[in-house]
Amino acid sequence: MLNQQTHNATPTKSIAKKLSGAYGDKVAKVFMQTVALAILALLFLMVYLLFEMSLEAIKEFGFGFLTSTDWDPIMEEFSALPFFYGTLVTSILALLIAAPISVMVAIFITDILPVKLGQVLGLFVEMIAAIPSIVFGLWGLFFLAPIVREQITPLLKSTLGFLPIFQGPSFGIGVLTASIILAIMILPTITSISREVFKSVPQHQKEAALALGATREEMIRLAVLRPSFSGITGAIVLGFGRALGETMAVAMVIGNSSRISASLFAPGATMSSVIANEYAEASAGLHLSSLCYVGLLLFLVTLVVNSSARFIVWKFSPIARSARKDKRA
Amino acid sequence: MNQFKFRKVRNKLFLFSLSIAAVVCLAPLIMVTSFMLQKGAASLDLDFFTKLPVPVGEAGGGMLHAILGTIYMVTLGSLMAVPLGLIGGIYLSEYGKGGISKALRLATDVMTGIPSIIIGIFAYILLVVPFKSFSALSGAVALAIIILPVVIRSSEEILKLVPKHIREAGLALGLPRWKVILFIIVRGNLSALFTGVMLAIARASGETAPLLFTAFGNMYLSYSPMEPMASLPVQIYTYAISPFEDWQRQSWAGAFVLIILVIGVNLGARFLMNPKALKNFLKRSSS
Amino acid sequence: MTSKKNVLEVKNLQAWFGKFHAVKGVSTDYPEKSITAIIGPSGCGKSTYLRCLNRIHEEVPGARSSGQALLLGQDIFAPEVDPVELRQNIGMVFQKPNPFPALSIFENVVVGLKLQGIKNKAKLLETAERCLRKAALWEEVKDKLHQQGTSLSGGQQQRLCIARALAVNPPVLLMDEPTSALDPIASAKIEELMQDLKEDFTVIVVTHNMQQAARVADYTSFLMLGELVEHGPSEIIFTNPKQSKTEDYITGRFG
Repeated sequence: MLNQQTHNATPTKSIAKKLSGAYGDKVAKVFMQTVALAILALLFLMVYLLFEMSLEAIKEFGFGFLTSTDWDPIMEEFSALPFFYGTLVTSILALLIAAPISVMVAIFITDILPVKLGQVLGLFVEMIAAIPSIVFGLWGLFFLAPIVREQITPLLKSTLGFLPIFQGPSFGIGVLTASIILAIMILPTITSISREVFKSVPQHQKEAALALGATREEMIRLAVLRPSFSGITGAIVLGFGRALGETMAVAMVIGNSSRISASLFAPGATMSSVIANEYAEASAGLHLSSLCYVGLLLFLVTLVVNSSARFIVWKFSPIARSARKDKRA
Repeated sequence: MNQFKFRKVRNKLFLFSLSIAAVVCLAPLIMVTSFMLQKGAASLDLDFFTKLPVPVGEAGGGMLHAILGTIYMVTLGSLMAVPLGLIGGIYLSEYGKGGISKALRLATDVMTGIPSIIIGIFAYILLVVPFKSFSALSGAVALAIIILPVVIRSSEEILKLVPKHIREAGLALGLPRWKVILFIIVRGNLSALFTGVMLAIARASGETAPLLFTAFGNMYLSYSPMEPMASLPVQIYTYAISPFEDWQRQSWAGAFVLIILVIGVNLGARFLMNPKALKNFLKRSSS
Repeated sequence: MTSKKNVLEVKNLQAWFGKFHAVKGVSTDYPEKSITAIIGPSGCGKSTYLRCLNRIHEEVPGARSSGQALLLGQDIFAPEVDPVELRQNIGMVFQKPNPFPALSIFENVVVGLKLQGIKNKAKLLETAERCLRKAALWEEVKDKLHQQGTSLSGGQQQRLCIARALAVNPPVLLMDEPTSALDPIASAKIEELMQDLKEDFTVIVVTHNMQQAARVADYTSFLMLGELVEHGPSEIIFTNPKQSKTEDYITGRFG
């Protein structure tokens, strides 16, 4: 090395060497940091512009935006409550449908099926996540909505019709149909996170249960489900976060009505669906600003939900805790 | 003994209900794809790919403009997002300890969680409001913002899998770090990085919400970035909620093309990419 | 010693992982209330052999076994035997302490009984105390029975796992390198405990530690490459083995 330098040491070479060595490293690092900062700036710009655009509506309605029930673009009366309510109802209903199925499928894949078969099933479930929202919307509009109208609604009315949520006429499109579509769309999210949670249960815990004379079901309850409780909660909350923001499929099947109705058969609207449906046509400044305000609220809600999900998964899971402990030991 | 029998029955019931859950979970996938295969494939013809829409009420016509529009905007968006995303991902995997990287990782998490409709609003405020017109450019920017965090995450996950000793071997040869990164680490994982990028692009190609009020849509061929532009997903949406049967038929055909494209890229990627990186990536991206 | 009746008689036991033949026809008798140690170089199949005896080996994908093992005269591999029921009669303690996370110390001990449908709180408490005393852990945990089992130290956790296995009251207790993850003081406690256990249980322990085998075991089996090389009273195996392979191993010439 030294030898080479004394032989070939011309001024240009040494500069080139400097450029490609420590100096080059510095340039590369600063360049990358600049890009990273630019991406950060982009996120801040997004939030800021969203806030600025909502400012008119925020000044006009303040927190009353969430208490009054009128959304009337012609009278320039705006309130996000119907959409907040619609988002909440559809997302919770979707969770009620999807969470048990997802958790069961995840167990089936990690602890019951042979490895190869489990992988195939897992792949199929993940394919659901790859289908674009618009395709689900199309399917919901032309396939699911008629089924809800002609089969599911009569069934629910005849069995649970005494409940106000199952009363009133059904047009096929409405809160229930939207919730079913949402449930399908969040299945892969909850399933794949739950799979990761279950997979982190050490084999020796499962064997401990079996060695005590537990059946498979008891082993799963004892060694898999119980320590995974917070992990599953995190997975479900993440699914909730995904349901909150889902737009197109919901916008196509929910019926777009800003009236709050107790019946699940009635049409409704969510925060994202009202933006999708009205934004392009919103001409008045206050209308546009109110839609942005709705968007800002939606952003904040999903942000809180997603971050709490991550927090639950990584902070409170006993498995993650004992794994951390193992690492230290 | 009775107790034991009860436990065994409960075990059987449990296993049975798990299989039922798996069937219930797969049923929608099968129903959606078979619906699209039936209705979509039957509605598909050569006109779909080669013709422009015909005036309302007339039958026939195709979605050439929307197909080209999607390709146009996705390409433009990828050109903006992919380089930035790769640099961000490389930065996170190679210099992932400092404050900026922590902030970037958090920002990436936040960006992935933002509903795509809100990204649409942002692109609208940024580009539609000042230029007073819906534009292909604003659509491309919206798609870029969707692609960006996905590329950052996938490339970080892929490069993190490169064992430490390979980096050290490169440094021990007397190579500066940036050369090790560029010529050993990145070059050695080009195909995996490429697949991650393809997955991100595939996802963006199917997005509708961020294009609704950015690129908006039109019914003719357009190549100007400053004018509204049609895209396959938005065209499917417009046709689907229209009252015309022929338009609805074309919307099924469009959805069929879209689903084949997206699932094709996804399956292809799964068999190309390093399975472990893929797993990490999927775990994080589905959250 | 020879007058004792056999609790477990293993005849020509074989085990495979896929194509790999891990245990090649082992036959041994286990007299009641005795401790038998199984020694051998790592990878000799001693753990696999042990794991066949409560049929937990077959829970591993691709694993299978054949042969006979008579527990009080009943072949445990017979088709009418449910492995779940069998495991209530053959307890197991693992290499790594594995109390159930999210369960308290008390719950960990009585979990086997609860599975069997026993709900009587007084009986559960009584069993928990008896088994924790038996596992020499009672004095250390009696004031914190409702703390998490995983909050204990490694050695305490392992004794908790022993108490958990004892609570089901199995005639046979399998121990798979129960001290290999513990420090010497905690190991010594477990060894002491094993001597007490012998009064009520038949213990089969896999160990990589020959001194431990010599100290605690009445009988010792030496396994190599899946075959039983020699089996006999420990004092003979360790002082005057019949096979040269055994001698080579215990004198440290290989392994």
